[in-house]
Amino acid sequence: MAAENIVTIRNLTKLYRQGEIDVTALNNVSLDIAAAEFLALMGPSGSGKSTLLHIIAGVDRPTSGECLVQGVDVTKLNESQLADWRNQNVGFIFQTFNLIPVLTAAENVELPLLLTQLNRSQRRKQVATALELVGLSDRAKHLPRQLSGGQEQRVAIARALVTDPKLIVADEPTGNLDSHSAQEVLGVLQSLRKDAGKTIIMVTHDPKAAAFGTRQIHLEKGELTA
Amino acid sequence: MTISTFIVKNALRNKRRAFLSVSSVAASLFLLVTLQVALRELTQPPESSGAELRVAVRNKISLTNPLPARQRAIIEKIPGVEGVTPFTWFGGKYKGEEGMSFAQFAVDPKALGTVFSDAKMDAAGYKNFNEQKDSCVLGKITAEKYHLKVGDRFVLDSTVYPGSLTFRVAGIYSGTPDDRNMLFRQDYLDDSLGVPGQVGMWWLKVKFADDMPRVTAAVNQAFENTSAEVRAESERAFQLGFLAMLGNIKALVASISTVVVFTLVLVTASTMSMAVRERFRELAILKALGFRRRELFAFILAESFGLSAFGAIIGIGVAYCAYTFGDIGKMTHGIFVTFEVTPRIIGFSALVAAVLGIVSAIAPSLAVARMSVVNGLKTLD
Repeated sequence: MAAENIVTIRNLTKLYRQGEIDVTALNNVSLDIAAAEFLALMGPSGSGKSTLLHIIAGVDRPTSGECLVQGVDVTKLNESQLADWRNQNVGFIFQTFNLIPVLTAAENVELPLLLTQLNRSQRRKQVATALELVGLSDRAKHLPRQLSGGQEQRVAIARALVTDPKLIVADEPTGNLDSHSAQEVLGVLQSLRKDAGKTIIMVTHDPKAAAFGTRQIHLEKGELTA
Repeated sequence: MTISTFIVKNALRNKRRAFLSVSSVAASLFLLVTLQVALRELTQPPESSGAELRVAVRNKISLTNPLPARQRAIIEKIPGVEGVTPFTWFGGKYKGEEGMSFAQFAVDPKALGTVFSDAKMDAAGYKNFNEQKDSCVLGKITAEKYHLKVGDRFVLDSTVYPGSLTFRVAGIYSGTPDDRNMLFRQDYLDDSLGVPGQVGMWWLKVKFADDMPRVTAAVNQAFENTSAEVRAESERAFQLGFLAMLGNIKALVASISTVVVFTLVLVTASTMSMAVRERFRELAILKALGFRRRELFAFILAESFGLSAFGAIIGIGVAYCAYTFGDIGKMTHGIFVTFEVTPRIIGFSALVAAVLGIVSAIAPSLAVARMSVVNGLKTLD
């Protein structure tokens, strides 16, 4: 049933115009993602997995089709509404961490909260909780350059969950990490699903990383294959 | 952390660039203030009290052509004229100096207090000046510069008349916009150099400001069709006419100011564009995190405005302090006596800085507004 799904996708198509040619990134994709699911989205380069992730996260728009996230059709929201919606409902984790280099770990985590109505002490409290969840309370005042890759990615995870979104999207979150750090990060994501009930959608090339998911799906040439 | 902390940290991210940007804005605004003050001083010279009652009468052909002394009697008879004095340029150099560092004029000592009432001097000074033919009165600045006091004697070599004259200091005056001039007696010049019957020009004082148009017309009319036709005009008109001889300084200064501002816009816009281009990835992330276009625009605008404002405070502040507390006479080798940074000039310069901050933010803000999150994110991986 749709009510149990956090994401419901129907007949999603995305075409890119490259000069005179239309390139199909997604072709009539339909998919349901249940709440508290850890979905590993796999596929070769150019298969459309990142495009699908972007549409679900509200940073890209499909050519046609429907994408309901927590009951909201994100394809119908305008730019400003989408920005608000992303801030409140989606946590982002990127391959290259993308922390702001001049801000400390705590300040990076606090960034999404600057858009909320929370006062300073409330923000600090949430930041502390998020950093504790990823095991980096003692690194709060460190700048990104003072952290290891794994620690940086855990700060990025803390930033993704500080607004307490139900959905976390991760685009190759272990792509820039050594195997030990990757295990740590995946462990954190796994516990977020188990302990906090977060829904996680992760794009990955790595079967070992995908094995941490509760479900794996494959995309090839813009179509779901499994 | 607050939004303002975030903006400040971003602005100071590249400290060298921030320092250079602020310095370029500061230097340009210092130059802009200097040009504006110079323009003001040149085109609107300070007015002395009593200027509204003074009339300058010069030869209609040219300021350098003398006037016959006999005109005085005719001028004095014109109703509304309170006092008349000759005013003859001497062009003297002090103790073999290369150039003239102060002006000297021959006047009538009896009319001095009436026509140039803004020159304040003690009664003894006026008395000495009236009684001693070789005496002179000195502006306070010149007296201090040459350490001259009442009773001292000094020699001036004229560049206009042959020979030199020795003068005795009768008094020291102050209170005029330019306390540098030296005034001595016309009869001393006449007697010593054997050129009686000629003066450089006339200064006269009318009784009431309302008399000014009538008196100037009457003076002009009195010498029409004579061998020495005159042009009588208010002190203000005379000063502006004098300045007009220097050429179109206003246009020149305005052109330089425009170039300064334009260059400043290019420098600041280039700095902001570089700063934003470096952070394109991060701005895309901020967009993904939920920051809207208007918030990102506000960040860029605040940063650009902040750099401009900081530069403006330094540039305008340094100019204000230098020209208010510094010795402008020494700095400009006597070209300017006053160099006032007026509130209007401060306001204009601050406005230029503010507009600069806004204009510089436009191009990078548009680039960020046009950037889709996906395209921004694509640059990440």
